Amino acid sequence: MSRYLSITAVALVLGMMVVQQFRITGFRGAHGIPADRAQELTVELKQLEKERADLAAEAEDLEKKLAQAQMGYNQAAEALRTEIAKVRLLAGLEPVRGRGVVVVVVPRQGTGVFTVRDEDLLRIVNELRGAGAEALAINGQRLIATSEIRTSGAHINVNLIPIAPPYRILAIGNPEYMKNTLEIKGGVVETLREWGIDIAVFTRDDLTVPGYQGKTSFEYARTS
Amino acid sequence: MKGLYAAMALVGLLLGLMVALQFRMTRDIAQSVPVQRAQELSARLAAVREERGALEERVESLRQQLDAVTAQPELTVLRRELEQARILAGVVEVKGPGVEVTLNDSNQPVQPGQNPNLYVLHDEDVLKVLNELRAAGAEALAINGQRLGPTSEIRCVGPTILTNRNKRLVPPFVITAIGNPDTMISALKMRGGVVETLQVWGIQVTIRKLNEVTIPAGIAPVKFEFAQPVTS
Repeated sequence: MSRYLSITAVALVLGMMVVQQFRITGFRGAHGIPADRAQELTVELKQLEKERADLAAEAEDLEKKLAQAQMGYNQAAEALRTEIAKVRLLAGLEPVRGRGVVVVVVPRQGTGVFTVRDEDLLRIVNELRGAGAEALAINGQRLIATSEIRTSGAHINVNLIPIAPPYRILAIGNPEYMKNTLEIKGGVVETLREWGIDIAVFTRDDLTVPGYQGKTSFEYARTS
Repeated sequence: MKGLYAAMALVGLLLGLMVALQFRMTRDIAQSVPVQRAQELSARLAAVREERGALEERVESLRQQLDAVTAQPELTVLRRELEQARILAGVVEVKGPGVEVTLNDSNQPVQPGQNPNLYVLHDEDVLKVLNELRAAGAEALAINGQRLGPTSEIRCVGPTILTNRNKRLVPPFVITAIGNPDTMISALKMRGGVVETLQVWGIQVTIRKLNEVTIPAGIAPVKFEFAQPVTS
């Protein structure tokens, strides 16, 4: 009889243990957060805080212009002009200068397995954007939101303008960070070099990126 | 009798183990630094996100007020110039005819010995689709509701894509573009073009022609950190 009792007790405890274990595992799945999540959240928070600060500054700026515009016709025109200048700068329509990098890309004579393709330049530009580039240009063509980098016949077109090697990509932003991003082991510089393309990244204390010169009117897009 | 002692000993042992385990795990989970940090960060994130949302609305309303007080017909030229610059900077919502391109990973079963990496969507595939749309005259672009501005990047991190400084997007990736729908569709579907290449790997591409696409506004920095205007 006592044997049955003890077996029952053991079974009961085992059952409880299994339940507990399940509960713990379930809890961990739902709410437990591995360490790198905290890091991810920190990055996100930092970015959100920057956006908040940018928006607050933008609101302040717009308030000033609004007050100015309400004072009279001349002031309204002036407020519009300064607002246009600001937005044009952000859109990439105006030349800018600052610290940055120059990336020179040349297909190696004779030995190159591949020529430089549009997707190689796209990749370099995308890496630079990821590294925080604020203004970019390839062979004098400023890259804006609608700029393409696309092979068309024997040339690569940027902003519908054909460009030819050597390709010089200018990027304004944190020079060291951009250079390191491109030159990271297994990164775009290493890959392109393996394909027989010469690529070099130079940091510059002062470089000027031209403004976009193409058409700025829209045929299809309209605001509300 | 001997059996009962053994059983009791076993029960005691198990109970002890259980208590120890329970105690350790609870402490591990609830008090570990990562979880505490993550909880704290999540709370701060929610607060900052809300403030940012409110500011976004305020900026939008201020822009409209500025447009309203400068509504004099003599200022039409300047207002139009401002509107064009805003569209290019991506700070204003735009509407128009266009296309919607949906990209998703391959649905083909990967055969043994094949590299599964070839059958998933890469950032370069997305970049190529965007580039093709731009070459076909797209005037405004967004991916999963994120407006693509002059400095927007597309980065693959695991199965997700990061754009606009760490905005995380999950598949399927839906690209919307305003422009001439027929030009954009024929550019994508061109023989040997980007859609055909992606389909070799089984990447699922769906293209829809839309009479009206709405592309949301993005957030542009008010001031660059490194780039300065060129004076004179």
